[in-house]
Amino acid sequence: MTSKDLVLESAADRTTRFERDALVFTNQLYAAALRYTKNPEDARDLVQDTYLKAFSSFHQFEEGTNLRAWLYRVLTTTFINTYRKGQRQPQIANNELEDWQVAEAQSHTSDQGKSAEQEALENLPDSDIKRALQEISEDFRIIVYLADVEGFSYKEIAEIVGAPAGTVMSRLHRGRKQLREKLSDYARDLGYTTDAPAPKAKKKGGTE
Amino acid sequence: MSFIEIQCGDVLASVVFIVEGELQEIPQADAIQSHIITCAACSAEIEHERLMHQMLQDVLKRSCDEQAPEELHQSIHNQLRAQMAGAGATEVVTQFSMTEISIEIDEFGNVEHREIQIEQTHIQHFIDDED
Repeated sequence: MTSKDLVLESAADRTTRFERDALVFTNQLYAAALRYTKNPEDARDLVQDTYLKAFSSFHQFEEGTNLRAWLYRVLTTTFINTYRKGQRQPQIANNELEDWQVAEAQSHTSDQGKSAEQEALENLPDSDIKRALQEISEDFRIIVYLADVEGFSYKEIAEIVGAPAGTVMSRLHRGRKQLREKLSDYARDLGYTTDAPAPKAKKKGGTE
Repeated sequence: MSFIEIQCGDVLASVVFIVEGELQEIPQADAIQSHIITCAACSAEIEHERLMHQMLQDVLKRSCDEQAPEELHQSIHNQLRAQMAGAGATEVVTQFSMTEISIEIDEFGNVEHREIQIEQTHIQHFIDDED
């Protein structure tokens, strides 16, 4: 003879627990969804779908593990599976992992280049920061956002996006680099940098 | 005491690991560490990278802090409640199953085998009187 309780927590209790623990992240998830989808209507739908999905599998969620990271995983996979379907995504080269360390000619930045970059970041308005983030490719954008706005470690991000940790590191590196280049470009357009816009490459300082 | 020769380029290529505080993930971590200490250009570069990283995080966090519209909060709450109700207010489901097997052998050696299956499902409803 077998006897088992299939549901130990009442649905009402579970709902209350979910609302108490998970809904505090609504604003954060919405801001992330805005970066992912690039528009308020889709962002709104994405956050709503995320919560409904998370709620329906909440009984599988292990208490004591990171609820915020879990919600971001649901958000990110929902976005990837639903919202970007049909959208054409730029293909990332297969050799991404192998070449990322050697891809760029590595040389020291000149002091001038350093202060120009710093000045650019100090002066740009929020709208330009967001524009730059919108313009970098999606895979990079998601990872930079999770790392630099949400403060997830690269191992947590690997879990959230379902990619190997090495890929995450590589995309983080490239994404930040692209972002900084864009911000420097905007700053130059606005005339902030002291650096002459001449073809004096910003990355070619002497190695001393 | 490392025999791996580290070039400035190796250090710069690992900058993302250094900035993330994950240098130990790289096999040449120790050699890179000692190179940075002795190379002024590299240590200046790392310092710049750390500063830029901090500044970039600050401006990103400052720029990306939109608040979700009030109706979104409300609509999530309503949908969750609806989903809960839709899933049934079924609270505790208890299933019993029992099988009774009997075997009889008569004096002629004929085997008579009988199996009775008893199943019972008990569902208890709790009324959710919250809001």
